[in-house]
Amino acid sequence: MSEARNNVPLFVMGGIMLVYALIVNTGSLLPLMKSIGTHKTMDLQVTMCFIVGILGILTGIVNSIRKPQNTLLDRFFLQPMAGVILLLALAMLVRWYLEPWVIIGSKTLKPVIGFGIYKVLNLNYVVLGLLVGVLITNTVGIPNFAASGVKTARFVLKMGVILLGARYSFAELAKLGVYSIWLVGGFVMGTVFLVLWLGNMFKQPKSMTGVLSAGMGVCGVSATVAVAPVVRAKSEEMAYTIGTILSFGIICMFVFPTVGKLVGMNPTQFGAWAGTGILNSAQVAAAALAFNAVDIATLKVAEIFNITRVLFLPIIVLVLATWFGKETGQKLSFKTVVIDKFPIFILGFLLLFIMSSTGLFSPPSHYKGKYIDVSYNDRTRITDQEWSTLDEALKAGAVKGADATEMAALEDLHKQHQIAGNFDDRNNKAVFDKVGRERMTALESILAQHKAKKIEMSKEVTGVVKHALKQVHKKSKTIVTLTDCMIWFFAFGLIGLGMQITKYAMAQAGGWPLVMGIIAGVTKAVLSFFVVLWFVKEVTLN
Amino acid sequence: MSNKIDVDTGSDGKGSHQFSAQADTQEMEERALSVFSSERNEDITALVFTLITTFVVLLFTKWMV
Repeated sequence: MSEARNNVPLFVMGGIMLVYALIVNTGSLLPLMKSIGTHKTMDLQVTMCFIVGILGILTGIVNSIRKPQNTLLDRFFLQPMAGVILLLALAMLVRWYLEPWVIIGSKTLKPVIGFGIYKVLNLNYVVLGLLVGVLITNTVGIPNFAASGVKTARFVLKMGVILLGARYSFAELAKLGVYSIWLVGGFVMGTVFLVLWLGNMFKQPKSMTGVLSAGMGVCGVSATVAVAPVVRAKSEEMAYTIGTILSFGIICMFVFPTVGKLVGMNPTQFGAWAGTGILNSAQVAAAALAFNAVDIATLKVAEIFNITRVLFLPIIVLVLATWFGKETGQKLSFKTVVIDKFPIFILGFLLLFIMSSTGLFSPPSHYKGKYIDVSYNDRTRITDQEWSTLDEALKAGAVKGADATEMAALEDLHKQHQIAGNFDDRNNKAVFDKVGRERMTALESILAQHKAKKIEMSKEVTGVVKHALKQVHKKSKTIVTLTDCMIWFFAFGLIGLGMQITKYAMAQAGGWPLVMGIIAGVTKAVLSFFVVLWFVKEVTLN
Repeated sequence: MSNKIDVDTGSDGKGSHQFSAQADTQEMEERALSVFSSERNEDITALVFTLITTFVVLLFTKWMV
């Protein structure tokens, strides 16, 4: 009986999960879910809670009738299960309730305070998960039953980093061209070495300096998680790095667009600058849109520059492994660094990146699972009603202000009922795709110019163009699902990581990481500003 | 001679733990924050689990659709 009592948390949590799954399944929570925009996850909520609930109760039963032993099953499954379920439940709470409520609250407060707290403070599941973990450990503490499960957090975070590789493909690098890759690579390495030098100057722990250099050089959370084991960084050092990067990004989000406009940067120059200087990808996108919401080139260039940095991750891991080994007085040969010290999970990241580049998950030219399909396809056609609207508008000459290329693209949409290349070129895929993409760009330009009030057209025609564009923008289900898994792994892992951060440990680290991060960030932003302004006139995206 | 030492942390901990005989305090602290006895085991398990996840996702979103 005493064994059963020890497993009460498992039975309680398993029971709550099952009851929640049943309630969601009846649809009685649907109005609430619709109000916070999570109704699309209803099936997922039922399935996940049902599986986790059953798993919890079964583990509870096995633990109750079987004495704890020192087997793999006990160590990796039966003992951590209670903690794993607690972390999962918290991750569900963050993703399905806390994050949507923060977004809604932020939108409600926007008219009063003038800005969206959610966007400005980047209060997404990453930050919220970490905060929830820190809050629990510093108030009620980690419950005894969950202690073993919390120790799976780092392992799960590593799974998230491996899956990150699936989102990118070599085609992204090829789009930038050699010159821009040198530019991005130069700044990544430069920042890493600057932070290492600052760490030495301010006499900061090697582990803190190492993890901060990767975070500031590459990009936020993923780089921090990836480098932490190599430099043996502690949880609070990882949290400080993530905090420093996000705080620096908040300042950049406001400063970058203002400076860009003041000096008259062109859209591609600003995109290159924001993509190099700002670390967090969401903040890069926000700054690019704040600079220019009309010309999509700004956002595209900024995102590609930002994404390219992630692909330097394996190199940075190698550099920091060598640095950390030498700093801690180890004699390192090439074999030691490349084979013994190189983390296997980073090889996993590379493996998924290669799989993604070969087109296993999506056409190789994808970007975060999104790709463009301008081939003939019934599903990409506009509706008959939309075609009639377009037909009438073209006959009446109701689209005014468009140039010859834009008009030709619109007329071709009318002719072919979809965005595509020329029918005669259908057997030559390269030419067919090129023409189709040019037409797509021309239609995107029409929408952007209409928004800027340079092209006149009715709301209905705008709707037709928007729909036609939406039809050729495809998303790979495989990458969307893998990204979802990655987000869950990160949410789970970051809550667990947060739970390992005590007030005492944070006080011990002090404010130095922030000082070092800001010095390195400002230096990089200023240097990249001049480099971009002088050398980047136009970024040609192939 | 084995270069690993076993430390028993009891049934309410995680059972037995294996450390390198040369492990320093920092490594011991690091391992105490994980259910795995070494970084290598943790990485390989993470890689295997991720590959299984990827295979299952591919099966249901690409190959069986």
